[in-house]
Amino acid sequence: MIQKKICLIGTSGVGKTSLVAKFVHSMFSDKYLTTVGVKIDKKTVSVDGAEVMLMIWDLAGDDDYQRLQTSYLRGTSGYLLVADGTRQITLDQAIEIQGRVVEAAGPLPFLLALNKADLVSQWEIDDARTDDLAARGCKSFKTSAKDGAGVEEAFVELGRMVTQSK
Amino acid sequence: MRRSPGNPIEEFEELRQLLLSREREQLRELRDRIVDKERRSQDIAGVLPEAVKLSRERGEELAHALRPAVEGSIKESIDQRPQIFVDALHPIIGPIVRRSIAESLRRLLQSLNQTLEHTFSWRGLKWRFEALRTGKSFAEVVMLRSLVYRVEQLFLIHRKTSLSLLHVTSDPAMSKDSDMVAGMLSAIQDFARDSFEVGEDAALEEFRVGELQVWISPGRSAYLAAVIRGNPSRELRSTLEETIESIHVLKGSALAIFQGSAVIFEPLRPELEACLRAQYTTAKSDRRPTRLWVILGTAVAVAIFGLALAAQSKSKWKDFLGRLNAQPGLIVTDAQQGWLSSSQVSGLRDVSSPDPAALAREAKLDPARIRFHWKEYLALDPASVRRRFEQRFGVPNETRIALKDGVLTLSGSIPYEWLERVRREATLIPGVTSIADRAADIFYDQDLTRKRFEQQLGLLETVNAVVANGVLTLSGEASHRWLTRARTEAVKLPGITSVDDRAVIDLDQRAFEQSKSIIETAFVYFLTDKDDIATEGFAALSRLPDEIRRCEKAAKQLDMDVTLEIHGRADAVGSEARNVDLRQQRANKVRDFLVSCGFEPTRLKPIGMEQPFKPADADKAAPEQSERRVAFKIVTQPSIPSP
Repeated sequence: MIQKKICLIGTSGVGKTSLVAKFVHSMFSDKYLTTVGVKIDKKTVSVDGAEVMLMIWDLAGDDDYQRLQTSYLRGTSGYLLVADGTRQITLDQAIEIQGRVVEAAGPLPFLLALNKADLVSQWEIDDARTDDLAARGCKSFKTSAKDGAGVEEAFVELGRMVTQSK
Repeated sequence: MRRSPGNPIEEFEELRQLLLSREREQLRELRDRIVDKERRSQDIAGVLPEAVKLSRERGEELAHALRPAVEGSIKESIDQRPQIFVDALHPIIGPIVRRSIAESLRRLLQSLNQTLEHTFSWRGLKWRFEALRTGKSFAEVVMLRSLVYRVEQLFLIHRKTSLSLLHVTSDPAMSKDSDMVAGMLSAIQDFARDSFEVGEDAALEEFRVGELQVWISPGRSAYLAAVIRGNPSRELRSTLEETIESIHVLKGSALAIFQGSAVIFEPLRPELEACLRAQYTTAKSDRRPTRLWVILGTAVAVAIFGLALAAQSKSKWKDFLGRLNAQPGLIVTDAQQGWLSSSQVSGLRDVSSPDPAALAREAKLDPARIRFHWKEYLALDPASVRRRFEQRFGVPNETRIALKDGVLTLSGSIPYEWLERVRREATLIPGVTSIADRAADIFYDQDLTRKRFEQQLGLLETVNAVVANGVLTLSGEASHRWLTRARTEAVKLPGITSVDDRAVIDLDQRAFEQSKSIIETAFVYFLTDKDDIATEGFAALSRLPDEIRRCEKAAKQLDMDVTLEIHGRADAVGSEARNVDLRQQRANKVRDFLVSCGFEPTRLKPIGMEQPFKPADADKAAPEQSERRVAFKIVTQPSIPSP
């Protein structure tokens, strides 16, 4: 089975950890995020009939108190950039973080997960913005950690991208 | 040479020659290089290494393209000339296999040695007790008490991607998700590096968590993380470093281009498993072989000793069965020797036969470990019959017995009493139909003979009896009847041939004699010339009846009848005729008196005695009174038995 390291990246509070909590095999508690700055989970997805084991490095949120530890990005095959769809600013911050990731790890396959899709009434990101991002090579998924919508698809797609990437 | 003008074709050709001759030459050269196979090969050989290198950097296309051809070529070569591959791989595979085998043997030996040590030692027993007391497993207690260190898990982790390439563990139960553990180990290293701002190549080499330590041996593309319980020696560090170097030698290129598939590293498992070492306090390397040899030697000695014991036991068993079968009255129908359980013997047994347990003891076997299942039967072979006879009667020392066709022949010196019992009871024994004792020399026990005499006649307190050489010697006092009976009946008893009773006083005879003497010395005096009893005569006469009765009684015991002759006498004074009458009258007078006392007249015989001579006092004026008397004489005759 192919193994791939991927990272979950985003600012604090966008729901990175919640996003994967119900969908991955986990053996470490969330306190690692606040101590070591990373928590590693595992998820196996099927990509085009082949099993791919994704080692998911859930990196602590990037904010005023904790900066993204780019050393954790070393060797990653791709990453899931997570933003809170109910807060426009988190998308801007995610894009800013993505720039730093490219500086640190180079161009890598990534997906944008616009989380909290279940909160439709509070949604702040319009389709034009996402279309613009898509045009610039940033594919996005609307996900909901609450009802699981889009989560599996996002990971499968990312798995496909990292296995096809050379 | 200068050509003349006018031919434009020639001039054009010349011009072209001047302008393009060099290019044409180069084109020819290029064509030759392309067409000439040898030159083309040389050209490709010059650029091929660089082209392969560039292709690898671009991806796996070249590898994929070459794989079928290379695999086919290798397969063909192995089929046709395997020795080349054997020679090429031997330097690599040989050491790996040897190392793997040596490591496996070392661990096996260590485990065996440790198990033996813990099983047989006092400390092992203590640990077992501790395990019982604390509820822990014995293995856990042993490990806690004797472990110096043990490499419990080993991770081979790709340095760049932090992915687990291979994970080995000493205990399959430790199946924590190695992929995530490997990732976190890498994360921790990154964390440490970032926190302390050390260089990219710096690595967290070890850290301790409780009883566990994690040692990290970095390599260029991957590193080893060993999870160790206890306190490892520095030697282990060298081992880990050598291993990671070896891994890089074997799989360096695969590590460099690792794209997520860890299958290719599976062949490295023996290398990693060789690092799963353990050291125990008691398992000192220099002692291990010795201890093992000692135990093996002991085991062999025990085995030999056991075999010798088994052979000896088998021999004893055989001897025992031989003894059983040799005994008349014992028939063994089945015998099973038990090694750990009791042995079994079944068969038939005559009650008179020897005790099988005693035979087992004679064969040096423990009868308590043999179960006998006997069914009783009556053996009629001579030996069994004889044994049955001997058990019932016993056989005196000097007596000989023989048995043939049911006839028991007795000879030698035989006690009378024993013989008598045998005569009475021997034929009651199955197998004895008759007794022949004509050749027996019977002897009599003197005491038993005397007792027999006593029982037969009843020995009087006043009589002492001794038997010697067949003579019954009696002494003391006895009645005449007893004595007479003893004389007649004793000789009829076995062991008494004659009776010596000279020392026995016949009380009845003595009484008779005494009475007779008293009577016959008694005189009844009469008055002169009268038949009147004188005064002195009355005194004598008054005592006479009692004495006569005693005499009669004694005579009766002697089987005699007594007649009392009453002798009348007279003195010489007077005429003879008168004296004849007077003598008779006087005798009659006494008879009458005795008849009046109750005596039978027929037993009284009054006789006037003749005067055979003239007494000395016949002429005397006062003749002696003694002549005027009546005297007595006891006359006996055998009594006539009453009809």
